[in-house]
Amino acid sequence: MIEERIKADVLCIGGGIAGLMAAIRAAELGASVVVAEKGNVQYSGCGRMGNDHFETYIPKIHGADKDAWIEELLRTAKGEILIGKDLLRAQFMKAYDIVKLWDDWGIPMKYKGRWEFSGHSFPDHPMTHIKYEGRFQKKILTSQAKKRGVKIINRVMMLDLIRDNNKVIGAVGVHTREDRLLIFEAKSVVLGTGKCSRLYPPLTPGWLSNDPHGGSQSGDGRAMAYRAGAELQNLEMPQRHIGPKYFTRFGQGTWVGVVKDWYGKSAGTFVDKPDLRYGDMICEVNKLAPEQYTQAGKGPLYMDCTDMTDEDHEYMMHWMKNEGYPAMTEYMAAEGIDLRKHPIEFMTYPIRGGGLIVANEKAETSLKGLYAAGDESYGDISAAATFGYLGGENAAIYVQSIKQVAIEKNNPVIQKIQKLIDDIKGHENGPDWEETSVALQQTMSDYVGKVRNESLLLQGLQHFRRIRQKTRDTLMAKNPHEVARCLEVFNLLEIGELTFLMALNRKETRGLHNRPDYPFTDPRLNQAHIIRKSKNDNILDWKSY
Amino acid sequence: MPPIINSDDCIKCNTCVEICSEDVFYGSKKGEVPHVAYPKECVHFNGCVSVCPVPGAIRLRIPLPMQLVYKEEETS
Repeated sequence: MIEERIKADVLCIGGGIAGLMAAIRAAELGASVVVAEKGNVQYSGCGRMGNDHFETYIPKIHGADKDAWIEELLRTAKGEILIGKDLLRAQFMKAYDIVKLWDDWGIPMKYKGRWEFSGHSFPDHPMTHIKYEGRFQKKILTSQAKKRGVKIINRVMMLDLIRDNNKVIGAVGVHTREDRLLIFEAKSVVLGTGKCSRLYPPLTPGWLSNDPHGGSQSGDGRAMAYRAGAELQNLEMPQRHIGPKYFTRFGQGTWVGVVKDWYGKSAGTFVDKPDLRYGDMICEVNKLAPEQYTQAGKGPLYMDCTDMTDEDHEYMMHWMKNEGYPAMTEYMAAEGIDLRKHPIEFMTYPIRGGGLIVANEKAETSLKGLYAAGDESYGDISAAATFGYLGGENAAIYVQSIKQVAIEKNNPVIQKIQKLIDDIKGHENGPDWEETSVALQQTMSDYVGKVRNESLLLQGLQHFRRIRQKTRDTLMAKNPHEVARCLEVFNLLEIGELTFLMALNRKETRGLHNRPDYPFTDPRLNQAHIIRKSKNDNILDWKSY
Repeated sequence: MPPIINSDDCIKCNTCVEICSEDVFYGSKKGEVPHVAYPKECVHFNGCVSVCPVPGAIRLRIPLPMQLVYKEEETS
């Protein structure tokens, strides 16, 4: 396999919103920066096709009491996020500056010359999200990064971090189109690698790509952070989301309608007719509502936008195009689906993996020289942009006092990866990555899914480990594209096993972690649940937020 | 399901091949009409349709399992 060496002060892994913002800021402060992206930075990550809402505190509008505003966020968009208030505070000290920067760079953050607050808020409560036209945000951020001399390498899947004693000194990846290993010697690394989205079965069985995050966010960052010894948090806390059935898309805040049943009866009490400023907060406060209605024999539930003027409809469609919905809006136009006439069924999407890489308000992880931002630590567009920026800033400051350490050719991490890839290429008659994904997902769903109890988890873990070993021994690929897909599956298997261990260790019921053998929430566990690797063992711990 | 390319209109610029994050066009060669090697990996985000310089040269077919469920208009 050909080897290529690349040197940089700061290596940003993943070129989504967080990765590009980190790259922009680090380069601005004089660091040499490389972005390594699995796809193409212009169309990668959750913000690939755009976004239309950005949470920000604006002192002139919200007044001086930032904490009251943060409390409001905890009642609304941030209700399910298990992070400390210090992080939220750090985000909102900075988010408005980022809004102004983006506006200067050509991402329109104002609507008709004003801050337009809408969605994700209760009527008569403080508004938390501004509408913005993010349709071309990735293109604009890419050009801002290039302007500052950032080197972008597309089509490289990063696999592992390389450490020297306690600090990160680089990383190794594989090209997804050519038989080539890329070794990065970097004084610091920022992980902006996105979600871990293929751990549980997709909405359509076996149809791996019907996922609102897309297919390539496979927890690569958290898997490599864990293998290098960084702390991960709350992997066992699953998430559910709500959106249109069966065309999976997030962004329920963009829909201006009322959630109603077949007979036109509202499911919630927040709005009684479509309101441009407030979507129906039932989607925020109870994402399980459609599933519960169906189970109770009262389904289905619809997002009903029919009681809407043409002008309001035009407004909503404008934001849908910016929110990254063009595939759906073009499909609706071609099918004659008109939201003024047709209520769209909404559903509770299947269970998804949760958790994050532990990072503080400076985006520092528990490993020296390693930073994390965006969905891999604490996501949403505003947090990704803000902590990406802060991570890049702090990485650039950190590298000023660090000397580059050379990575030896026979570094054990590189040798291990080379052997793994050679084995995959050498296997015959084994499963491909899709077969393994289906086995992984069904085991996750059946044994660490909606209901978990000790015996179920123990049996699931045994089976999971057998699948994992068989995968290691037999998984095969016929070209670099498939090799990368296989390596994604190995990362998912890594995170899946840790999810079992953490679910066993959380002896309580909380949120969607449903343990009938421990049916109550234990207030003593209002803490971050941590896992990290220590030699060949795992250390599980609880820490205050 | 996969992107559908109208080979008469395609100008073989390979812009779609370059930007697809899932790399469904893997193996396509410059100067040729792109080949959809991994149709099932398409995530239907419309990136390829958005960047195509020739309107209509590429389009998505939304697969049957992904069709929206909606209530027909009441006519009384």
